[in-house]
Amino acid sequence: MRMGNIFIFDYLSKLVGFFIVLFTLLIFIYSLNFIKTKKKEYYYWMFLTFLSSLGVVFSNHLFLITIFWGYLGLTLFMLINLYSDQNKASVAKKTFIIVGGSDGFLLFGILLYIYLTSRYFIVEKPLVINSALSFLSFFLIALACFAKAGCIPLHTWIPEMAEVTEAPTVAYLPASLDKLLGIYLLVRLIKDAFILDDFSKAILLILGSLTIIAAVMMALVQHNIKKLLGYHAVSQVGYMVLGLGCSTVLGLAAGLFHMLNNAIYKSCLFLGVGNVQKQSGSVEFENLSGLGKFMPATFLFVLIASLSISGIPPFNGFVSKWMVYQGLVELFKLSTSFTLKLVILFSLVSALVGSSLTLASFLKLNAGVFLGQPKEKTKEASFTLLISPFILSLLCIIFGIFAFHTILPFIAKAIGEFSTSGLWRPMQATNLIILGILLGFIIFIITSKKRRTSPIFIGGEKIDFQTEAKVSDFYVNIRELKVLKNIYRLAEKKFFDIYEQTKNLSFIFIKFLRYLHNGVLPTYLVWCLLGALWLFFIFFR
Amino acid sequence: MKFILYFLFLFFSVSMGGIGWWLERKLTARFQYRVGPPWYQNFIDIMKLFIKETIIPQGASRILFILSPLVSLSSSLIVALILITDYFFKQNFIADIIVIIYLLIIPSLFLILGAFSSANPLALVGAIRETKQLIAYEFVFIVSLVIVIIKTGGSLFLSEIIERQMLGNIYFKSFSGLIAFILAFFYLQAKLGIIPFDTPEAEQEIASGVMIEYSGALLGFWKISKLLLYFSLPLFIIFLFLPGKFVDIIIKYFLLILLITVVKNINPRMRIKDVLEFFWFFLFPLGLIGIFLAINGY
Repeated sequence: MRMGNIFIFDYLSKLVGFFIVLFTLLIFIYSLNFIKTKKKEYYYWMFLTFLSSLGVVFSNHLFLITIFWGYLGLTLFMLINLYSDQNKASVAKKTFIIVGGSDGFLLFGILLYIYLTSRYFIVEKPLVINSALSFLSFFLIALACFAKAGCIPLHTWIPEMAEVTEAPTVAYLPASLDKLLGIYLLVRLIKDAFILDDFSKAILLILGSLTIIAAVMMALVQHNIKKLLGYHAVSQVGYMVLGLGCSTVLGLAAGLFHMLNNAIYKSCLFLGVGNVQKQSGSVEFENLSGLGKFMPATFLFVLIASLSISGIPPFNGFVSKWMVYQGLVELFKLSTSFTLKLVILFSLVSALVGSSLTLASFLKLNAGVFLGQPKEKTKEASFTLLISPFILSLLCIIFGIFAFHTILPFIAKAIGEFSTSGLWRPMQATNLIILGILLGFIIFIITSKKRRTSPIFIGGEKIDFQTEAKVSDFYVNIRELKVLKNIYRLAEKKFFDIYEQTKNLSFIFIKFLRYLHNGVLPTYLVWCLLGALWLFFIFFR
Repeated sequence: MKFILYFLFLFFSVSMGGIGWWLERKLTARFQYRVGPPWYQNFIDIMKLFIKETIIPQGASRILFILSPLVSLSSSLIVALILITDYFFKQNFIADIIVIIYLLIIPSLFLILGAFSSANPLALVGAIRETKQLIAYEFVFIVSLVIVIIKTGGSLFLSEIIERQMLGNIYFKSFSGLIAFILAFFYLQAKLGIIPFDTPEAEQEIASGVMIEYSGALLGFWKISKLLLYFSLPLFIIFLFLPGKFVDIIIKYFLLILLITVVKNINPRMRIKDVLEFFWFFLFPLGLIGIFLAINGY
């Protein structure tokens, strides 16, 4: 075994590695002012996460990847559990069981891969998926990626963790690094280790589109901002998986680009909400209103990130979503099987629809937190808490308007040259939009010389802000629609949560064992007697 | 030179939109045994707004409040430009149809943000309804566009979609195309906020909700933006399903306005919950059937 093979330094690894360093730096700057207690432990686990992430990205040997991957589960557990209380402890346990359990899948998948190919390296010669075993090997490794990145069916830890954990931790692990790593490994698998057949493509596409729709529908009805963002952190993974499921060069590039964009705007959102939490002390919609007046900078950054995540042109989220759609259409043109075509169209529809639902739920966030009549006075967050959101929202704009000149050439180097069949000229469009706004503004200044402010008009009635329509009940009638009513009820009972279902199943099993072990001597004696009789029967029949 | 051409296009779209809107008002008036406004009514209404005073509500987020109509106007301008250049020059300008979907979301998005920024409770109610309506009709329009994409064999360019149909294969005449057209028609009705889908504005109950605080030049921008949509949205749907020569298109535009007016005058306003159910549980499944038919070539 040569040393040169154990590690890999190609463009893909370097690109993802660069972003790991970038995000670590930004979150570190943010944490300086945010984390006040247990600093030593926090930075220790953060640094360990950083190192093991780099380890995953730059290693080529399959076992080495597994080891670093395992470390990440541990650091995640420790970071959640750092400021321990009852709630966090149970969430941390759930996270550890899901992420750690998926490490088992990873190991099993890798062993199968080695058994099938007798190769120990991820970048060598790809394995064609043509048998049940090879599919199983791919699917198991993919499940580990899903658990890390947060794709259905192993996504349930992200919203719960986002709700209880500190903002920088959420921005660091599930929002940026876990996405980078999970999707990096999946890209690596599809690009270098496996050649997908139609069936595995279809499975990826179905899982991706289910993730988009289910998570965004849950996000619509949330009352807690961080939980809402957590559901979006899941929903966006669907787009990446759709891109990767195309398994064309364009699709892979789209998935990778969307992953980078998602990490950028999602950590920006979490950090912005972190500012809100720090300044106003709450992340519940009910307690917040009209903060935009007091925290204009935070509002601006959150608004930019919200528009990006909703895929509003010309921001970055739009470009990558558009590339995902292009990838799907390209696959539609190439594919010959009827079922695959149907699946592709299903995913295209759900991706487009998901994006408008995302917009709806982010309107709720911005309107509920930053707009409307203010309830109480707050102050803008301190300068150091604004640097990282500022840089991230700047990246949202740069990667949106100048996407084809800044980041996409690097992605093309990492994945391979790709061409899109559609057309989008962000710079031209932005110029026109800005021109339109400027012209309009000049007309506004010239024509409306008479301007005054006056109290709001509500038809002569008195304002009572207590009985005012609440933003937290924004989408309450969606929950009450015929078909969705039952689905929401089941989802809130955690019926669709694999972790809860497995827990229930194991409790039934444990109940049976408990019934047997009742601590009464005669029962045990009866079991001994029955066992002895059975042995007699075996040996002396 | 180019800019003069663009300017002429925009002038053309605004005046066509104004005439279309006038036609709707006039026909409605005739349906109700009224005389109705003269053809230039919309234009003088808007001109009047620009010499009126602008009132900005207390407690509003000023920048967003002023910026919203401007952003909305410039994005509807871009959509109109794209549609017209794609048709006349048979070249693709800036964007494909997927981008057009997103550009068409921007006016509604900033209408909602503008309403929220005015901090008025009635505007809040209107904006919440507008958001729900947005997600309701967006579902349906997407399905309708996907059917078009299937029928062109995966092409996303508007000019190519028009060209293919000009060769004699009009999508409106096939089963799936017809379904897609019906979906797109309801999208049009809801996007323009015409009865039965005018819940966000509902003058009688929430005093034109989303726009309640807008006045003067800012309201004028909203009106111009609406005029542009009045022309470019029907135009987009005609390009997608039944394109033809220039004169044909103008005739079809007026026919579409007539259809909108008829639907407007024989229906009452729907509740927002009914709008959601109508779009999600009736039209959306219909669209899925359309997709299935389209793959099979019907």
